Amino acid sequence: DPISTPKPTHLPPLDPLSTPKPTHLHPLDPLSTPTLPISTPKPTHLHHLDPISTPKPTHLHPLDQISTPTFLAERMANVRHRRQERRPVESVVPKSRLITWEPSEEFIKNSHIINTPVQTMHIMGDLGPSGKLGLKENEYILCTIKADGNGVITIKPDFNNNRGAYRLETQGEKREVWRLYLENASSDIHAEEKEREQRMYRDLYTRHKDYLNSLVGQDFEMVRIIILIQTHFSAQGYEYDNLYVHFFLDLPNNWSSVPFHGLSGVTQTCRTSSVGKDVAFFSYPFSFETFFHKEDESDGSLPQWPVLYFKVLSLDFWQRYRTEGYGFLVIPSTPGYHRMTCRTWRPLQSGTVAELRRFFIGGAPELEDISYVRVPGTFKGKRLSRFGFRTQTTGSVTFTLNCIQHARAFIDASTLKKRRQTVLDQLGGHSQQGSVYNVLEAFQRARNRMQEARETLPRDLINTSAQLNSESSA
Amino acid sequence: MAELHIIGQIIGATGFPQNSLFCKWGVHTGGAWRLLSGLKEGQTQVDMPQTGDMAYWSHPIDLHYTTKGLQGWPKLHLQVWHQDSFGRCQLYGYGYIHIPSSPGQHRLQCVTWRPLGSWQDQLAEMFVGGGPQLRSPDLIYSGADRYRLHTVGMGTVELELCVILRHFDRYGVES
Repeated sequence: DPISTPKPTHLPPLDPLSTPKPTHLHPLDPLSTPTLPISTPKPTHLHHLDPISTPKPTHLHPLDQISTPTFLAERMANVRHRRQERRPVESVVPKSRLITWEPSEEFIKNSHIINTPVQTMHIMGDLGPSGKLGLKENEYILCTIKADGNGVITIKPDFNNNRGAYRLETQGEKREVWRLYLENASSDIHAEEKEREQRMYRDLYTRHKDYLNSLVGQDFEMVRIIILIQTHFSAQGYEYDNLYVHFFLDLPNNWSSVPFHGLSGVTQTCRTSSVGKDVAFFSYPFSFETFFHKEDESDGSLPQWPVLYFKVLSLDFWQRYRTEGYGFLVIPSTPGYHRMTCRTWRPLQSGTVAELRRFFIGGAPELEDISYVRVPGTFKGKRLSRFGFRTQTTGSVTFTLNCIQHARAFIDASTLKKRRQTVLDQLGGHSQQGSVYNVLEAFQRARNRMQEARETLPRDLINTSAQLNSESSA
Repeated sequence: MAELHIIGQIIGATGFPQNSLFCKWGVHTGGAWRLLSGLKEGQTQVDMPQTGDMAYWSHPIDLHYTTKGLQGWPKLHLQVWHQDSFGRCQLYGYGYIHIPSSPGQHRLQCVTWRPLGSWQDQLAEMFVGGGPQLRSPDLIYSGADRYRLHTVGMGTVELELCVILRHFDRYGVES
C-alpha cells in the first residue's frame, strides 16, 4: 500500500545532531491521508546543544547498525553556533585582524559555502513487507523539511497540489512502486492570532522609534540668525601653474561672527593637471558661521549679505609669486546647494616693464584694498567710477556652496503650510504680504490651540468621528 | 534635536591615470553630532574596469545622525588608492566634500588632489611608485597650514547622496 502515515511529531524537533529515528513509523494505514504538520523551528534552543560534538552512536536505535556517522550527522556537526544577543545598534567593523592569514582547512570549508544553520527533518517510510518491518534496507526518505533561522521552510519534494503522485521505487527483490502524495494539512492562522502578530510588530516598531527618539533628545541651540556656508572649489583657465587661493569673507554692518573661527583662509598650492583640462582642484572644505543682528526694525532697507572676496595667486618652483586674479562672490540669500563660477581679472600696468618684471621675476601690482573688487569700503558717493583702471581677464573659479539659515523667526513661519516666507519677507515686515501672513499665522496658532484643547478632553465626551481625530493629529 | 539621514552610494571614480582603484572613505563631524546607526567609514573594493575609464564601486552609505547644533556639519573625506598587478597600493588622491545641507537627491563630484614632493621624489615616483602622503588626514580640517602643501589635481569621485532632514524646521533652520 503506497500511502504511508508517518507521524513526525514524535521526532524531537530540537535535536539536529542525531540521525532521524525511523522507529516511530507505524504500519501503513491505507485510509488516512498523510498528515504533515509543520513544526516551526525554534532556533534559540540550539544553544543548549553542543553543536560541534560528533553524534554519539549510543543514541541511535539499536536497529540502526551504524558505526560511522552518516552524512547527515556529519553536515550537522558543522553547524555554526549562533549568538542569542542582538547586535548593537552601531555595528562596528573590526579594524584589526580583518584578514586571516593562515586559514585552517575547516575555516576554508566553512567559508566557501554560505552556511546558514538549518534544521532538517526527514520523514521516512518503512516500506518493507508487513511481516518484516524494522529493517533498515526498507527505509526510504519520503520527505525532507529544512528550516533555517531566517524563517524559511523548505519542503522537498513539494506538495502535490493535485498534480500527479510521486513515484517511489523500492530496491530489493520485489521492486515495488509506491505512489506518494504530500498535502499541506495545516490550518491557516486565526484572525486573532494574525491581529496579535500585527500588534506585536507595531509595538516593536514603536518601541524602536521611541528608543531612537530618546537617543535624539530635545535640545537644539537657538540663535538669532546664522548662515553656515561650506565651500570648496576648483580653478581653471589661468596662465601659470601652481595656483592657490586666498579668500576672506567680508561681513557688512549688522553681521558678526564667532571670534575664534577664522573667516579667511588660504588653500594649498595645486598644480593643474593636464588630465582635467588645466583645472586645479582644491577641494577645500570651509565653513563660515555668521550671525545677524536685526537691530533696527524700521530701517526699511534690505539686509546686506556677506561677500566672499578671493584672489588667486601662483607660486612656482623658483618661488616666483604672481597674482593671477581677483574676484568676489555674494553669498546667496536662499538656502540650499549652489554651484557658482566666478570670473576673475588682474590689474595691468601700462608699459612693458611691468609685464617683463612679472614674467621674469614675479611680483605684480596688487590691490591694496581688496574690497575695491566690488564696491570699495571707503566709497560714499552715488556713482562709482573705475575709469582708468586697466585689467585683464584671467580664468575662473568654481565654488560649491551649501547654505543653511537658522533663525528663531522661522519656527513660527514654518507652521504655515502654504508658502514659507523668505528671510527678506520676514525682515521686511511692512509689506502688505507681510501683514497677510501675520494674520494667517495668528489664525493658525489659534487653531492649534483649539485642537490641543480638544485633544486633552476625554474621548467619550467628544462626539467626533475618527476623521476629525486624524485631522487634529496631523 | 534634529536628525539627518544620509543615504547614497559612492558610484565610482574617473579621470585618474590608472584604472584599478579603490577608495577609503569616512565621514567627519563636529562635536554636536552623534551617529545613531550606520558605518561612518569604510573601504570599497578594488575595481578594474575592462572597458571605459570609470571605475565603479557602488559602495553604499547609510548614516543616521542626530545633532544639537549646526556647527560641524558632516564632511566626507575620501582617499583614492591604486592597486597594481603586483598588489602594491599607491595613493592617488585625497578628496573632501561636504554633505549637502539641503534635502533631496544630489549628484556630487568630489575632486581629488595628491601631494607632491620635491623633484627627486617625483622622479622616484615615476619609476618605483609611492609618493608622499599626509601624515594624518585630519590635518586638513584644522586648516591653518594648508598653504604649505604642494599638490597636483587628480581625478574625480562621483557620489550620489540623498539627504533627509528631520525636525530641522522645528528649530527654525531653513535649508
